[in-house]
Parts: sequence; C-alpha cells; structure tokens
Amino acid sequence: MSEKLTEALANLEEAKVYEIVKKKLDGGEAPFTILEEANKGMQLIGNRFETGEYFLTDLIFSSAIFKNISTQLEPLLKEKVGREVKGKIVLGTPKGDIHDLGKNIFATLARTAGFEVYDLGVDVPPEKFVDKVKETHANILGMSALISPAFPSMQEVVEKVKQAGLRGSLKIIIGGGVTTPLAREKVGADFQTIYAHKGVMVCKEWMEVK
Amino acid sequence: MIKETMTSQQRVEAAIKLEPLDRIPVIPFIDAKFPCRYQGISQAESFRNFDSAREAMQKTFDELGGYDATFRPGQFAIESWIAATGMKTKFPGIHLPDEYILQPVEYEALVPEDYDTIIKKGFNKFYKEDYLPRVIDFPMSQLERGIERAHEQYIKDIKSWSEKGVLTFTGGFINSPMMLFGNMRSITALALDVYRTPDKVKAAFDAAVVDIIENGLHFARFTGLKGVEIVLERGSAFYWPLRIFEKFEFPYIKQIVEAFLKEDFIIILHFDTDWTLNLPYFKEFPKGKCVVQLDGTTNIFKAKEIFRNHFCIMGDVPAALSSLGTPDEMEEYCEKLIDDIGKGGGFILSTACVCPVDAKFENIKRMIQTAKNYLHSK
Repeated sequence: MSEKLTEALANLEEAKVYEIVKKKLDGGEAPFTILEEANKGMQLIGNRFETGEYFLTDLIFSSAIFKNISTQLEPLLKEKVGREVKGKIVLGTPKGDIHDLGKNIFATLARTAGFEVYDLGVDVPPEKFVDKVKETHANILGMSALISPAFPSMQEVVEKVKQAGLRGSLKIIIGGGVTTPLAREKVGADFQTIYAHKGVMVCKEWMEVK
Repeated sequence: MIKETMTSQQRVEAAIKLEPLDRIPVIPFIDAKFPCRYQGISQAESFRNFDSAREAMQKTFDELGGYDATFRPGQFAIESWIAATGMKTKFPGIHLPDEYILQPVEYEALVPEDYDTIIKKGFNKFYKEDYLPRVIDFPMSQLERGIERAHEQYIKDIKSWSEKGVLTFTGGFINSPMMLFGNMRSITALALDVYRTPDKVKAAFDAAVVDIIENGLHFARFTGLKGVEIVLERGSAFYWPLRIFEKFEFPYIKQIVEAFLKEDFIIILHFDTDWTLNLPYFKEFPKGKCVVQLDGTTNIFKAKEIFRNHFCIMGDVPAALSSLGTPDEMEEYCEKLIDDIGKGGGFILSTACVCPVDAKFENIKRMIQTAKNYLHSK
C-alpha cells in the first residue's frame, strides 16, 4: 500500500492518490507516515524531471496534488512534527517589474521542497528585500524578473545587502526569462537560471553544504 | 563596410528564401519603448500620442544609421493590446509610473465554466460579450472605438515608414489557442485544467481556433503586409511535455500556418521561452515560408542544425547584453552569430524578442554596424 501511494503520486494519478489516502486514513494509518510516502513520490517526480521524463507542468500538477494531501493531513498530525525546513528564502520581483508567473512557480516548487518562502510580491523596493532578510535571517535571497528594468534594482539590492553586512552567508539567486549569465555577473548574484526547478535544486544544494 | 549590392527589401526576402546575400540583414525588434526612452518621451506619453511615438522610432532609426526593416510600425493602442493578448494589463501613466513599461497581469480571468460557454456560444461571441469586460477598466464602447482608431493609426504608421523607404517587417499577428488561453486563464491554472479535464479544454480550443484564424487573417489582409507573426510562448517544452504539445499546441499551429500560407503570407514564428525540443516538429512546414525568431532561451545553434537550408533564423541578442553589456561584448556575440548561424545565409540578426527599454544606444548601434561590416571569419 505504501508503495502504491508513492507510485500513484509519481505517476500523477490524482484520483487514485486521494483514494489511497482516504483508505489509509480509514484504516487508521498515521498521517505522518502517509505524508512521508507522499514525500517519496515527490522525490521520484523530481528525479523524473531531472532525467527529462517530466516537464514543468508535471511539477505544477504534482505540487497541487501534494498541497491537497498536506492540507488534509496536517491538521490531523498529533504533534507538530511537520516536514523538515530546508531553509528560508526571501523572494520577490524587484522594483520596475510586476511580472510574477516565474516567481510564483519558483515559490510553489520551493515550498513543496520544504523551504520557508517569504514572498514579498512584485515591484519590491530594494530596502524591503534587505529588511526581510534581516528580520527572517534568511539563507537565500531570490529575485525573479521578466524585463530589463529589474536589473538596476537587482544591482541595488545586492549593494544594499552588502552595506547592511548581510552578504557573507547569504546566497543570492536570480531567475526569469530576461536573466543570463552576464546579468548574474553584473548584478553580483551567486546563481542564475531561467528554470524554476533548477533554481530550487541549487537552493537545496546550498543548504546541504551549510 | 561590406559593399552592398542588394536593397534592404531584396536582402530580407533573400534571407527568408535562403538565397545568397551580400551581407546579413539586421532587423532589431525595436518597438516604441526604447526609442521613446532614448528620445526623452515618457512611456506614458507614447500611449497618448502615437505620432510622436512613431517619430521617435524613426529618429532613432536614423541615428542608429538605419537597418533593413522596422519590425513594427508604431505604438500599440491600449485597447488593441488588451484585445490581442486577452490580458488585463497595467499601463504607464494610468496604473504605473510614467516611465514604467506596460506589464500584463497574470491572473485567472477565464474560469473553468467558460470552456462550456465557448463551446456553445463560439469564441468571438464569448470573447466580446463575456470575457473582455473582465479585463478592462473602461466601457466596452471605448474598447471598440479605441481598436478602430488603432487600426487607422497602424495603416498611417506603415505608410509613414514606407514613404521613408523603410519596409515594415510584420503586419498581422496571431496567438495560438494555447498562448491565448494561457494568457486568459494563467499558465498554472491552464496546466491543471489540461491535466484534469483535457477533453473539455481540447473542445474549447477546437471551437476557438476557427475564430482565431479568421480574426488573424482579417487583420493581416487589412495591413497589406506579407509578414505575419505567430506569437508562441506558452506552449513550449519549457512548460509542457511533448505529448501535450502534440495534442494541444502543434495541431493548432499547423492549422494557423496552413491558413496563412494559402494566402501567401510569410510566417514569423515568434518563439519566446525554450522551444529547443519542439523545433523538429516545425520542419514539416514548407521550406522558405517561415522565419524562426528566437528570444535567447531556445538554443539558436541547435535551431540552425535543425533548420539549415529549410528556414531562416532570426535573433537572438539577449536583452541583458543590450542593457548591461558593452559595445565590444555586443560585437563579439553578433560576430559569433554571423559566423555560426549566418554562414550560408538564412539568418537575420536581431534582438532576442523586443529591444529592452533601457538598452544602451551604443550597444544597439554596434549590433547594426557589425551586420554591416562583418562578413564572417572563416
């Protein structure tokens, strides 16, 4: 039965997933164990994405299924064991840009991967990024953009982070269709990608090294 | 400077038909944003005074030393932008500061119940009566009047460029159903619909594509220009598995392309996001009839391998290079494109999607000069 839930989720069989979860709960299985099995399914999905078998919309769909399971199970957990928090990410679309598609996809995937994400929204002034990093002791600062006016804002954020003495252990990732390796270099970020899932993978690697 | 033996029009046509060239044509995708910023006209003003927006484009064209065609003839009207994209949009001077560029808002204006309405009512009727009122913050009568005025302005702009002796590269433009529904529903919600209720979405696409093609053909004929841009962003393997692309995107693109080719239009396949895995499908369209326009995320070098001697490639100077790079970095990248993509013809040097509002003038100038001066290294 355990393998069946993992497999059904990994195969994106939504109705079957809910049916198995219901049977398990009716049979008295611990919600925490069920969540663990679902987690294994999500790991398989991540692996399939890495090998090119799955695509971004598969991740979006699996995240929606996983969210539904978590929403159902979390209130039933006797102790607030929850999932291990991988790290804290402060995220936003910098000033000058109000696009949020890529940012929201990244936030969904990062949360599903176990990160605490502080999403500041769009058109975010540099000071707000800095204040939130300070307040949350975030490990990672993420900035997403679709248009070039976000570049000077990104540069300003990195500069202000340095001035506030926060750059040392803070990792900075930029993403979105307009970003390139050249933009990463000029902005002074640690990593750049146009792929949300790749960004989350790198954030996980950063947290494993720490 | 390379000795020019062709007119711009001959050069562009030869590039599309994969014929020999005197030099690589250069058509940066410059709309009103960059020229207006460069000429000191606010982005807000460019939506209020279309003639001054076009004049800024033409002045910048001259100051850049000229290039082989203008990609677009002028500024879009707010009304025609919303009607064409189906997206609620924030505009400078109205919802955003004067110097911001227009920015669409990603939200679920289309709801799941609408699929049935589209199937029953037809797309055009649904779009006009039910959908558009949700994404505008002014009366429908204003939208209709605005579109009429915009059409008149469009023809005026094309004529003005023509009188200046400059070809306008694209007239009509059309979205695939996946693109348009992705805009209306948001890509994440559309993804969940496609996975959960595929037959319903497919039936709505089937109902919509007929009207989408007819609307597109009507406007393209009206412009009198041969170039038609199919805007493709939201159906690529950047988002979707190929099995979904094969069912929900490619068959409709095929219908669109066939309908336009029947009337002898040239198709500009405007690919935004990474289409590398999707490109081989497009090879079934007839040789020399499409231009593959890339935005810097699709691998242009793989695209050349796939479409060598089949389609002209157009692109792909990244926005980051135009905005943040130096003229020497620009020249180096353009020379690489001319060497690797341009060798043997079938290439138009261009920006990756729209030239960014804050591009450095000297970078764009260097791009144009490189096309005019650099033959190739080998």
